[in-house]
Amino acid sequence: MRRNSPPALIFHGLFVVFMLAPLLIVCVVAFTPEGYLSLPTRGPSLRWFKAIFDYPEFIRAFRDSLWLAALSSTIAIMLAVPAALAIARYRFPGREAMTTLFMSPLMVPHVVLGIAFLRFFTQIGISGTFVGLVLSHIIVVIPFALRLVLAASYGIDRRIEHAAISLGAGTSTVFRRVTLPLILPGVVSGWLLAAINSFDEVTMTVFIASPATVTLPVRMFLYIQDNIDPLIAAVSACLIAMTAALLFALDRLFGLDRLFVGSGKG
Amino acid sequence: MSHLVLDGLTKRFGGFTAVDAMNLSVERGEFVSLLGPSGCGKTTTLQMIAGFVDVDRGGIRLDGADLVSVAPNKRGLGIVFQSYALFPHMTVAENIAFGLEMRDVSKPDRDKRTLAAMELVGLKGFADRYPRRMSGGQQQRVALARALVIKPALLLLDEPLSNLDAKLREEMQGELRQIQRSVGTTTILVTHDQHEAMALSDRIVVMNQGRIEQIGAPDQVYDRPASAFVASFLGKTNVLAGTGDGQGSVAIGDLVLPLPGAGKGPLQLAVRPERLSIAAAGEPGLEARILGRVFQGTHWLLSAQSAAGALTLMRGNDGAAVPTEGETVRLRFNAADAALLPGGAAP
Repeated sequence: MRRNSPPALIFHGLFVVFMLAPLLIVCVVAFTPEGYLSLPTRGPSLRWFKAIFDYPEFIRAFRDSLWLAALSSTIAIMLAVPAALAIARYRFPGREAMTTLFMSPLMVPHVVLGIAFLRFFTQIGISGTFVGLVLSHIIVVIPFALRLVLAASYGIDRRIEHAAISLGAGTSTVFRRVTLPLILPGVVSGWLLAAINSFDEVTMTVFIASPATVTLPVRMFLYIQDNIDPLIAAVSACLIAMTAALLFALDRLFGLDRLFVGSGKG
Repeated sequence: MSHLVLDGLTKRFGGFTAVDAMNLSVERGEFVSLLGPSGCGKTTTLQMIAGFVDVDRGGIRLDGADLVSVAPNKRGLGIVFQSYALFPHMTVAENIAFGLEMRDVSKPDRDKRTLAAMELVGLKGFADRYPRRMSGGQQQRVALARALVIKPALLLLDEPLSNLDAKLREEMQGELRQIQRSVGTTTILVTHDQHEAMALSDRIVVMNQGRIEQIGAPDQVYDRPASAFVASFLGKTNVLAGTGDGQGSVAIGDLVLPLPGAGKGPLQLAVRPERLSIAAAGEPGLEARILGRVFQGTHWLLSAQSAAGALTLMRGNDGAAVPTEGETVRLRFNAADAALLPGGAAP
């Protein structure tokens, strides 16, 4: 393998710093003892982490967000798997249209989706409910789920399934024992990407969420409109820590490069 | 009664006829190769037997029972694919045991048969390996064991050795043949490799454009090709233009040979390069000018041009003088070494 030249190394270094610096600064600021956003010059303090517990709406929003992400990405992946398998292996009328339809939420600005869902949900009477939130999130995360499952599905050698059939496996057994394990990296990474996107979604959710169903990002967004204090940095730091822990656990379990690059651990 | 019968088997893809009214009977324990260039319908035929491609017309019978109406997973056939098609997420033992598991064979029995299958293909001690940690040849053995362990009624081999390098392929050919002999499973091999077909099979079915050109034992198909296609597809051959006198005699240049069954007028003969020899002085022969020669170690390959067409001949490297480029020689061959090809005038 060719070694990187010094200019390339400098470029990569700057790139990594540029990516990580904001995250790092947020985490450092979260430990400030001051009442405003600043670097902790008088030693670290847990003041703002303790403050989170004075705002139960943050805890509730976090719980709702987790539920929302888990539900919407799970349903999205359950729709994406059969769709991806059909698209990857069969030529049928409407195949292109179906692919485009599933991918279209990526193309429509989330502001537009937000307004559209608000109007539509009011019409059918589920405005401001958790069900409405889940439905809208399924739609916006399905392109991510489908993309990754589709990539995995295209990579399958049909003859592996044929071999299973010839050995006596029926349709459901072939799916359970052969097809699903083969596309599992795509399914897991698709689910993960969908869950992250759902958890992260603000632009559209801001229109649909009601006071009873506010997600964490929307809660944070509403909060900083009124106050700019290190509380929001503390919440962010908690999120970053949890994400890092999750990624670490996943890497231990599956190997992240296998999930996202598909190269396998060998 | 034949073990496997293909009766007027036909498959069309749109306007293209992939397999055209194919008839074939295979005896129990026989090793039959479907040989032909890509697109000749050999793989489609195998896929129809396996049940992965629907039959348009005609029937497939196994021991007299209709096979077409049986679901592919109920046919009980063993298949080995060119790409091996092993289950990558299962170990060697799990791969081989899969078919037994589908048949609800008890665990101890399953383990015993899996072990025996691994021994049969020479993979003892590989039980816990994953396929990606194995060489192509080893993976192919796993695929073979996986197909054989279910004691299939038929073993279908789809270009099983073409992904292996030449040396390993030759080794595997010998082994495959020996394993097939020992278990006695009726086997259908699909291949485009004439050497593989000749080395392995009891009978070869030469296919072209969805039709069978010839069925016969390897030496029979090689020595007595039924058509110009078979003659040119199996080994090197010379197609020479001759003229029949209508009384069982054919003239090729100055050479006149008795060939019973030859008609009157222009006709075509197939002669193998190794059967052409140089005529002694004074003997009648076909005049040919040597255009080039290539040394092959055990023999020389000479290309030449004659009035009856371009031809190739072989001269053993036995110390005798070999004609050089530009030289004119007179060639002869025995009537028994010439196969009369159907279909009119010389190309």
